[in-house]
Amino acid sequence: MSPVSATYWGISGYIIFWVFFVVAAGLFVQRTWFLFRLIRLGKPENRFDHMGQRINNMVREVVTQRCSLKSVTRKDLAGFGHAFLFWGFSLFFLSYIIFIGLAGGFGLASIILGGTFERVFSSILDIAGLFVTIAIVWAAIRRYIVRPARLQMSAEAGIIMGMVFGLMLLHFLGDGFGLASAGVTTSWPPISGAIARLLSGSSISNLTLKHVYYSLWWLHYFLILSFAVYVPRSKHMHILASIFNEIFIPLGQKVVIEPIPVEEQENFGISKIQDFTWKDLLDLYSCAVCGRCHASCPAQLTGKTLSPREVIHNLKEHLLEAGSALLTPQPVTAKDGQPKEMLGGVVTEPEIWACTTCGACQEVCPVGIEHVRKIIGFRRNLTMSQSKMPESAQLMLRNMQSRGNPWAGVQSMRLRGDWTSGLDLKILADGDTTDTLFWVGCTGALVERNVKATLAMAKVFKAAGVDFAVLGDAETCCGDPARRAGYDFQFQVMAEQNIEMFKSHGIKQIITSCPHCLNTIKNEYPQYGGEFKVVHYTEFIADLIKQDKIKLSNELNSTLTFHDPCYLGRYNHIYQEPRGILQSIPNAKLTEMERSKSSSFCCGGGGGLMWIEEQPGTTKISHMRLEDALKTGADTVVTACPYCLQMFEESIEHKGIQSKLKALDLVEIVEAAMKQS
Amino acid sequence: MHTIICVKQVLDPEIPPAKFKIDPETKKVIPPAGVPPVISVFDERAVEAACRLKDKNKGKITIISMGSAKAADVVRHTLSMGADDGIVLTDDAFENLDSFGTAYVLSKAIKKIGAFDLVLCGRQAADWGAGQVGSILGEMLGIPIITLACNIEVTGQALKIRRIVRDGFEVLEAPMPSLITVSSEIGLPRLPGGMGLMMARRKVIPTWKAVDIGAEAAMLDKANSHTEVTGLSVPTRKSECEMITGVTLVEAAGNLAARIIKLV
Ligand code: SF4
Ligand code: SF4
Repeated sequence: MSPVSATYWGISGYIIFWVFFVVAAGLFVQRTWFLFRLIRLGKPENRFDHMGQRINNMVREVVTQRCSLKSVTRKDLAGFGHAFLFWGFSLFFLSYIIFIGLAGGFGLASIILGGTFERVFSSILDIAGLFVTIAIVWAAIRRYIVRPARLQMSAEAGIIMGMVFGLMLLHFLGDGFGLASAGVTTSWPPISGAIARLLSGSSISNLTLKHVYYSLWWLHYFLILSFAVYVPRSKHMHILASIFNEIFIPLGQKVVIEPIPVEEQENFGISKIQDFTWKDLLDLYSCAVCGRCHASCPAQLTGKTLSPREVIHNLKEHLLEAGSALLTPQPVTAKDGQPKEMLGGVVTEPEIWACTTCGACQEVCPVGIEHVRKIIGFRRNLTMSQSKMPESAQLMLRNMQSRGNPWAGVQSMRLRGDWTSGLDLKILADGDTTDTLFWVGCTGALVERNVKATLAMAKVFKAAGVDFAVLGDAETCCGDPARRAGYDFQFQVMAEQNIEMFKSHGIKQIITSCPHCLNTIKNEYPQYGGEFKVVHYTEFIADLIKQDKIKLSNELNSTLTFHDPCYLGRYNHIYQEPRGILQSIPNAKLTEMERSKSSSFCCGGGGGLMWIEEQPGTTKISHMRLEDALKTGADTVVTACPYCLQMFEESIEHKGIQSKLKALDLVEIVEAAMKQS
Repeated sequence: MHTIICVKQVLDPEIPPAKFKIDPETKKVIPPAGVPPVISVFDERAVEAACRLKDKNKGKITIISMGSAKAADVVRHTLSMGADDGIVLTDDAFENLDSFGTAYVLSKAIKKIGAFDLVLCGRQAADWGAGQVGSILGEMLGIPIITLACNIEVTGQALKIRRIVRDGFEVLEAPMPSLITVSSEIGLPRLPGGMGLMMARRKVIPTWKAVDIGAEAAMLDKANSHTEVTGLSVPTRKSECEMITGVTLVEAAGNLAARIIKLV
């Protein structure tokens, strides 16, 4: 007999069961409806394409727990804990529907209980319960005893952990008492079976056993209902929201920066809740405050005020607070009732300008939150609607506007096209056409150190017999620094001009030396109708080696470590090509930094920060990255991005260790290793 | 309030000296390839001054620029900063005019535009740096001239101008219309906002020729020019380095002081 079919103080157990169920369900729906209405405050955005693929992605991420397992490292095993918790709890969720819902509430106990099915399922549950309990205890230790920096202590986490622990305990005890009162002594299920055997062997009367069982059963039921009511009211709403978030994550590029919508007239970018799209708001609910982003953010790790975790968390709190005022039809009149300004208050300008757009936060985020486009949205509002930005940002944007490139002053010792002198290169004049363009990029064309790499590149291509052309002094900036700084109109102007120019020269393939150019031309120009085949030089050279057009036969006698540029690796998934090239050089030993490939640590120069001064912190991002390179014991740090190269050189010089470590562009190594014929 | 600003497009002052070439024969500067001209920095500050006045007092800003058809880019930049209309004055006859001729062309254009309350110019052009056009133009328009302004305010029907002088500043009052030349101390020009950029892209910038403004041929004739360029050369700059030493730091400092005293 199930505890529901009994009568309590003259009231049928069924009535008690369903009354509480309806109340809890009502509270659950009330809250989720409120959360749903808040999301609808956001702007429309189409993330409903390829729904089949999207749902498939979600299932793959969530069911397999790849979302949390992907960030497991030797030092941080928490992902395993989450996975066990998830799988275990999913089984329990199923059991609540079957044993408590169907068997209890619907009175189907006679069909479901007492057979092999129950025994097998209960046994599985027992084992799952053990895993969940271990995971919870471990989580509690990590929060209250040995807490890693990425986690914050919070009452909410304590309540949830207590609840889950309680649910497990009640499962074991409830089943134990249930079995004992029914006189079943069995070794399967193992834990509740053992409890039952213990109880049966004791002198407790059968009636007492039964009463305790009933009490535990109801307690269990009420705890489940409380859990359902509490979850959407706590940070654990991520349990619900992240499932949807995983469905609506961007399908292609992880970091997508959308163009300014044409209908936008005065308020550009993001300054208040309604400027976000619904997906941005769903992101906020999905955050589990796990802090993985916080622990990988270069700005945070070097002591800046920016923490992606805090940005997302604070925005969520703001949404819940300010959003309810927005939902009520009458406008808030009382001055002191006004919620805090979002831009400048909830998220501050120093935080916004500290971001290098490196994408590390998005890479590790287990629930697919898009941090970078929010930060760029804020920058758009600051630069285009409010004209508020650091002076260095203004100077850079000004230069882009009047000189077509972000460099100026003493920095640009050379002018565009100058580097071509003395090389017999095809320089495109009006009306000339070419299939393959070598797009040099501003830094490679203007900054002395980077010009050396550009020269090496031209020589390598020529030696390999590549038929290519350059634009010489007709080349302008690709627009990347303007877009990352939020000054999107400038980006748009440059993108349109460049697309026009590429088309006028009949260009089909573009080789870029800078990963930032690669990213903008390849992934963002299509937004303005520019579809070209764009490859990074590392891909191109790897291909030339494969075709035997380049032979790397000179010995190098050097230990190298490769620094993955953010926009090459995380943004464009080019990890293998540069390593393949380096490994094919005789006597070159390649070692890896601890943070490499998709968890590479930014050099500090992305997101416009090559020009925008770094916010105050404990150290410079580039200096911290240099330490990573030094730890490998390599004598050369190799990179494939002009910003990274400059950043490394600057920090090597700052530390005065020029004799210990060199910074080179990969192409310079290729040139040195090529057979001189 | 209607403000008219005269702006000039100049060679980018940021180009490195090695790129700066002149033709001694024709006594002209050879514009280096691949370097687009920019707005003269002082004129940009005049535009900033006008935009600040507009922010406070509303009104309209008209930009005129005499130069090649390329000057449209410079004019568009000022439109994105907040100016309302722009006109480019281009004619073969306008080429290589001296300050006097330039002021004449500008005055004719301003007269064609019609009523105005204020004319602004940069304190001087960032290329030749003569600093004369503003004053001559004021003279030709027959209105008061105030030079080197670092702050302009509207007080009722008059203008209150703070003007840079050698040992500080002086505050003047002037009626409207007046001509004011603006100095760098007015502050950094703004970066155009999104709205401004969008509006500027849509605007049509008309081109006026000599006939459109009724400029007399005699006034544009080079033979009647008030100035003659007799020679043009790039100044050579030499730097020498001399190491001053001493056995002790105190001695080295003493030697350094002695050397400096000899120099001055
Ligand atoms: S993009 Fe990089 S710098 Fe910006 S918040 Fe994310 S991790 Fe931090
Ligand atoms: S944004 Fe993502 S990575 Fe950062 S705390 Fe939230 S869930 Fe974790």
